[in-house]
Amino acid sequence: MKRGLWDREIIALLLLLAMLPMVLAWLAYGGLDAAGRLAFTLITSGLWHLVFMLARAQPPSFAGAVTAIAVAMLAPADLTLWQLVLGISFGSVMAELVFGGWGRNVLNPATVTLAFLGFGFPTAPWHDFALPVAWAAIPALAIGALYGVMSWRLILGALAVLGVALAAHLPVTAALPSTAIVFALLVTDPVASAHTRAGSWLNGALFAALVTLFATQWHSAAPAQIAVSAALLTSLAAPLLDEAAIAFWLSRRRKRHG
Amino acid sequence: MRFSPLSSGLILPPSGAAPAQTTATENLTAEAALTPAPNEELRVDLLVAEDAKVAQGQPVLRLRSAPDIVLVAPMAGRVARVDLRPGRRLSQVVFFQDDHCNRHAFDTKSPALPALLQASGLWRSICSRPFGRMPRATESPAAIFVMGIDTTPDAPPPWAAIAGREDDFSRGLAALTAFPAKLFLCEPAHQPSPIQPPATFTRLPIRPIHPQGLAGWQIHRHFPATPSAPVWEIHAEDVADIGGLLATGYLPATRLVSLSGDALRAPAMMHCQKGADLRGLGQSLLRPGPHEVLSGSILTGLPAHWLGVHDRQATFPTLRATTKPPHWFAAALERAARHAPIIPSAALDQSLGGAVPAAALIRALATADTEGFTRLGGLSLLAEDVALADYATGARPRLATQLRAILHKIAAEEDAL
Repeated sequence: MKRGLWDREIIALLLLLAMLPMVLAWLAYGGLDAAGRLAFTLITSGLWHLVFMLARAQPPSFAGAVTAIAVAMLAPADLTLWQLVLGISFGSVMAELVFGGWGRNVLNPATVTLAFLGFGFPTAPWHDFALPVAWAAIPALAIGALYGVMSWRLILGALAVLGVALAAHLPVTAALPSTAIVFALLVTDPVASAHTRAGSWLNGALFAALVTLFATQWHSAAPAQIAVSAALLTSLAAPLLDEAAIAFWLSRRRKRHG
Repeated sequence: MRFSPLSSGLILPPSGAAPAQTTATENLTAEAALTPAPNEELRVDLLVAEDAKVAQGQPVLRLRSAPDIVLVAPMAGRVARVDLRPGRRLSQVVFFQDDHCNRHAFDTKSPALPALLQASGLWRSICSRPFGRMPRATESPAAIFVMGIDTTPDAPPPWAAIAGREDDFSRGLAALTAFPAKLFLCEPAHQPSPIQPPATFTRLPIRPIHPQGLAGWQIHRHFPATPSAPVWEIHAEDVADIGGLLATGYLPATRLVSLSGDALRAPAMMHCQKGADLRGLGQSLLRPGPHEVLSGSILTGLPAHWLGVHDRQATFPTLRATTKPPHWFAAALERAARHAPIIPSAALDQSLGGAVPAAALIRALATADTEGFTRLGGLSLLAEDVALADYATGARPRLATQLRAILHKIAAEEDAL
């Protein structure tokens, strides 16, 4: 029996490939400091994968690198190494590895890490991003959608709502660069986002709507904080959106076939 | 004609030249056999003795549970060997070719169509869903899907199988209208049926991309099967066989089969008897070297000696020389761990035809959630319908195995009622 290539590790590698433009742009602007952070998060995340491999015979996944990249790019600045280790450990272990590894988790481990760091150490300032890094989110999303590892429906759903917000002159412009990066790194994760067709549209739309809401009402928040909070809430709502989409699909089917 | 815009599928990497490009030749193998379908239990009574001479189409076995349903000799010849397992369960009946025997004539005047199909062995060519069994003797279908399309890689095109027998096909379609069922004719959107079917047939133009040309996904979309309203699937060539039987009283002797696989020098299409000897079919085409012989496509085929009941493909893949064993650590992880889960992706969605919430169906299969599986319309499906998703995702345990297990469980519950 021959087999195709859409298994877990290939999808994780394609996600890494999709993130490459953003990561390279970020490293180019962040310099040694950024490279050091990335190395540190990669090692911490890798260590936990190693622990679970040895203790639970759970095969490690390249998805750990995806998590590490997202945390390195988005985590608040001025955190001590110990704080960063605590955050990554909480996110990787509690949101991913205890469920049985990537693919069995409910929330994106990077989202949980960032929420943990954001809520746990509220005085640490969030990063601002150089604009070219945010622009690099466009090829990232394009590569992901082209290979089918990110949902194009989710992307279009978010774009549609953001488009409406911009057309209505809501003050979302300042949050856009961080939103684009968070969207590409966290929200489009195929495991933690909605997986039905209608659910994907709603998932994208909900994220953009939450970003718009926070940008207009939450005045003290940094752009990255707004985007990460929206990503967390969207991720929590994804199973609900899927359930709603499946219920709608079933009701249409019942109407058609009795 | 238009097909549903929601119908999607995967384009598979080509495995060399397509058998459909070749001209079909006639090749009756020296041996043939009657065998049960995989996972099918047939408790039978013998109607002929071992070593007896039989005519082509002569009844050879009778089902103990339904004496009206018989299995017939695929070719004129001698009964070489009868293998039954305990409980008179059919294992195989092997025939040797003998040109001195003739063909068995059926009385097509008096009996009603179901009785004629049961007496001529054509009943076996019908696949009833849910559960993919041969229909019970008294079963009445809620719908019948005539498959004029097969998108399985390297499958023989149904229109090629009935080329020259259009009248038989037309007669067979007309005969099917005797069933009080909703009738569907599935055909490629770009290549409609060569004949106009009776007005009671709903024509379904289908986008020729795998898995859209599988009956399961069409039944799932247009007329979901339930235990109380079974849906039958029948191949266009078998419909032409019904027409041929009605016209002449003789059972058509051959079936169009495609041969493919990288162990062959060239792909081919052959008219051979049902249950043909697969080695006999491939003999003149095989390259030297180790290879496997599969009855069925590269996606669903099982190692076999004889052509399966519902199979129209024989695949001959090369056996790769065993490479060095994997590293001990990787091997240990492979054995100890739960296998990596399937990640929802566009490839998964499309390999299930875009017809069902893919991840929800996979989850219902993995957790053996019979209620969820039934609600999502899984009863219309058979293992072959998820074979493409198995291929695409490399899922372990295989989705086809999981689907077979859950159907078995539901069938056991239904039969207990």
